[in-house]
Amino acid sequence: MTQSTNENHTGLSGLLNKICLSPLGLLGIVFLFFLPLVPPFNQDYMIRWLISGAIVAAAAISFDFSAGYLGIVNFGYAAFLGLGGYTSAILSNTLGISPFITIFFGALMAATLGVLTGIVSLRLRGMFAICFTWFIGIALMGLCMKWDWLTRGPLGLQCTPFFESNSSLPNYYLILAIMLLTYLALGLMIKSNYGLAFRAIGQNMEAAMTSGVHPTKYRVINFTLSCFFAGLIGGFYAHYYGILTPELMHTQKTVEVLVIAYIGGRLSLWGGIVAAFPFIFAMELLRSSLSDLPGINLIIYGVFLIAIMVYYPGGVAFFFKNLTSRKIRRKEMQQASIAQ
Amino acid sequence: MLLKVKNLNAGYGFLNVLWDVSLNIGKGEFVALIGPNGAGKSTVMKSISGLLPPKSGTITFDGQVINNQDCAVNCRSGLSYISEELNLFTGMTILENLEMGAQMLEDKNKARENLDFVFELFPRLEERISQYAGTLSGGERKMLAIARGLMSNPTMVLVDEPSLGLAPQVTDEVFNALRLLNRQGLTILLVEQNVTKTLKFSSRAYILEKGKVVLEGPSSELITNDHVRKIYLGT
Amino acid sequence: MNNSRSIKAVEWLKSSGGITVTCTILVALAVSIHKGPYVLVNTLVTGGMWALMAIGVSLLFGVMNISNFAHGEYFMIGSLTAYYIMHPLKEYLLETPNSFLAFITPVLGIAGATLAGVIAGILTDKLIFAQLRKRNREGWLLNCFLITIGLSIILINLHMLIFGNTFKGVVNYWDVPSLALGDVYVSVDRVVVFFIAMLAILFFWYLMMYTTLGKKIRAVAQDENGARMVGIPVNRVYSTTFALACGFAALAGGSLLFMFPSYPTVGIAPLYNSWFIIILVGFGNVAGAVPGGFMIALFQVVTRTYMGEGWENVIPMFLISAILIFKPYGIFETKVRSVWEQ
Ligand SMILES: Nc1ncnc2c1ncn2[C@@H]1O[C@H](COP(=O)(O)OP(=O)(O)O)[C@@H](O)[C@H]1O
Ligand SMILES: [Mg+2]
Repeated sequence: MTQSTNENHTGLSGLLNKICLSPLGLLGIVFLFFLPLVPPFNQDYMIRWLISGAIVAAAAISFDFSAGYLGIVNFGYAAFLGLGGYTSAILSNTLGISPFITIFFGALMAATLGVLTGIVSLRLRGMFAICFTWFIGIALMGLCMKWDWLTRGPLGLQCTPFFESNSSLPNYYLILAIMLLTYLALGLMIKSNYGLAFRAIGQNMEAAMTSGVHPTKYRVINFTLSCFFAGLIGGFYAHYYGILTPELMHTQKTVEVLVIAYIGGRLSLWGGIVAAFPFIFAMELLRSSLSDLPGINLIIYGVFLIAIMVYYPGGVAFFFKNLTSRKIRRKEMQQASIAQ
Repeated sequence: MLLKVKNLNAGYGFLNVLWDVSLNIGKGEFVALIGPNGAGKSTVMKSISGLLPPKSGTITFDGQVINNQDCAVNCRSGLSYISEELNLFTGMTILENLEMGAQMLEDKNKARENLDFVFELFPRLEERISQYAGTLSGGERKMLAIARGLMSNPTMVLVDEPSLGLAPQVTDEVFNALRLLNRQGLTILLVEQNVTKTLKFSSRAYILEKGKVVLEGPSSELITNDHVRKIYLGT
Repeated sequence: MNNSRSIKAVEWLKSSGGITVTCTILVALAVSIHKGPYVLVNTLVTGGMWALMAIGVSLLFGVMNISNFAHGEYFMIGSLTAYYIMHPLKEYLLETPNSFLAFITPVLGIAGATLAGVIAGILTDKLIFAQLRKRNREGWLLNCFLITIGLSIILINLHMLIFGNTFKGVVNYWDVPSLALGDVYVSVDRVVVFFIAMLAILFFWYLMMYTTLGKKIRAVAQDENGARMVGIPVNRVYSTTFALACGFAALAGGSLLFMFPSYPTVGIAPLYNSWFIIILVGFGNVAGAVPGGFMIALFQVVTRTYMGEGWENVIPMFLISAILIFKPYGIFETKVRSVWEQ
């Protein structure tokens, strides 16, 4: 799914490039599609791990969309997940509408809060913006705790499942679709002129303003989109697990997403996907095999985050980019020596 | 030789700025480093002082190789650096800035002596002793930076563009102070764009263009050199 | 002279800082009349400690540009150490009463907690941030922010893994009758804790203003390269800063053990509070953290008294968000270094 810009594309790869995919990326998607059909991945618990991976991957994509490109770390990201989840669950519970429809209402709700947050936090940058979104998240979680007439608070809200069947497989394909939708929608956005503007604002707001990019519009658009998908993913989370507690909105959930997004690498939407599946899989494996050591997987999360930040701040995506650019350089050198 | 720089290559990130720069400065000399804007003069100073680790080459000070030594360690061994940006502690008073300049001295009497000495050199600082460095005028800041650099009893100072943005009288004041210090035995490497004045004050000079040393020699000879006259003196 | 001073005082009263401080005092008085003076006592006891926490966070940011989201975990380390010093001693005292040991036990606990915080701070700097400084200064602010998040996860879960998910606390420090101030009874513990906070703040202020070490720390904060140019060993100053900041947090944790028993996430509330304070008084405003600490403590005590448990994190959040929007530089309008906005 790499977006390379300086190669001329023909045929299939050109077509794929238009929708932000590379042949390798397509292969990856096909791989993910068939993975739960082959043993040992066809066991139900394995499929559930894959679903966790896909949820985090999708969340990491929409997180990186504002954190990587715009430089605004939405530290209250989990609260937007929760807002989408609660809205969808409450709507489907009270009105009896199918969750397939209500998750979009949940997404819209999260997007609305995203617009508000985007507009209100326009003047804030850097740490100020981080603190602001963080506080919004804490406040939302507190509200969900206290308004138990609506959310049942820590007791947990029952949510109607998507599918009647006992198998997790349909859920897997649903979240895979949501993940792809997130990736394609945000990827197309990044490829368009908007993407350029986002990058410009993220790198240097003043310079972007003087060169005619109006940050207000772009910041609000970016934030709204990111929150929309957060709401959608939150909706899936609610109806998939069947029960929703305010814990979903905890900063710790934001951190999980953030770790994956940064291990995947800033400024690469696909990095999140590449990092999420192996990482979540390893985490779950660790958690189930070391069940007498609770929290060991989270410790490893922390260690990974620190190690990445100290030793390899570019993440997985940077590693791949380095690899390909080195290949290109080597090719050029070979050609040069042949020419001589 | 007190300071010996041999085949110094330095730069920022992947970008190389200096190409095989070599300098030799003896004890008690007053040497100038001249060149147009962007030639890399400040980069030379930063590399010698230890703020910017060189990519290759050797820097020897007082018989010791100081290539990858931290700036703080160099300062302790007697090499003081007065940067172009001055790097003053703007939220501290003049006195506190000077105290910080002498903080590495064990002997507190020596620190007092140095304080008296720099106040004699720049009486204007003594008048404003408890004013915050951030509220000083440009000339006063330069004086404070030089004074702070002298507080640690250095054997050699690196001074980067002390005349930048100063009124001519203030420039003279600063240059006279430098000459006085040199006569008292301090070795000075001075970076300047003000070529005429610098060549009058210094004993020897290097000319740096595009990161390379293109000319060197006694100042009195350089002032009559054709290249220097054409490019720097405009005659 | 006198006149100009009074004009200045009136000006200050009319500024946002003055209005807030005045309102806080009025609210404090009103609430203590309505609900009894215990509100005030609780405010004073916790406020001082929150101020200490906030001073630490402010210091770390001011000197090293690190926004520490793991600061609560040093509070946790402090309370944990204090528990493991005080609890065994108290058990032992039950069997063999000894008045001197009974007196000294809390002192040992709190001192041990502070020491643990200092050591943890130095280790954090040496093992993590010194490595990062050596390697890469690009994107420093964001990298450090993420590292502290990682650190927080590690410390919380290590606590859970090693010491378990239980509440580890002591009921009181000294078994002596409460002090009577008029018809109000205040336990000695609370009074002592309040004075510990005040002493620590005083110590910090003296250290920063009048000692060479404090001046070196300020020098590094104002201009790192300048500090290196005058021969200040910058790395050592950084470690010292970390030791100070984390020591204060652990001191707060150890001192408040009787109110906040130690458990893995005990540091979250203090962390929230210190960030509230910092936003309230402006980033990097160390002096403002003291009134800020009392304001936040009062605000939380009041919300808890009138609205019930659990609201104290919701209502202040909205208020602080409003402050961020309308007064991003805090109520005292401190000039902020632009690094915050990168
Ligand atoms: N911090 C820096 N990062 C990147 N490039 C720099 C930096 N400082 C200086 N340069 C570049 O190095 C070159 C030499 O700069 P400098 O040594 O400051 O020149 P001078 O002092 O002679 O005017 C210039 O082209 C400048 O753009
Ligand atoms: Mg220069």
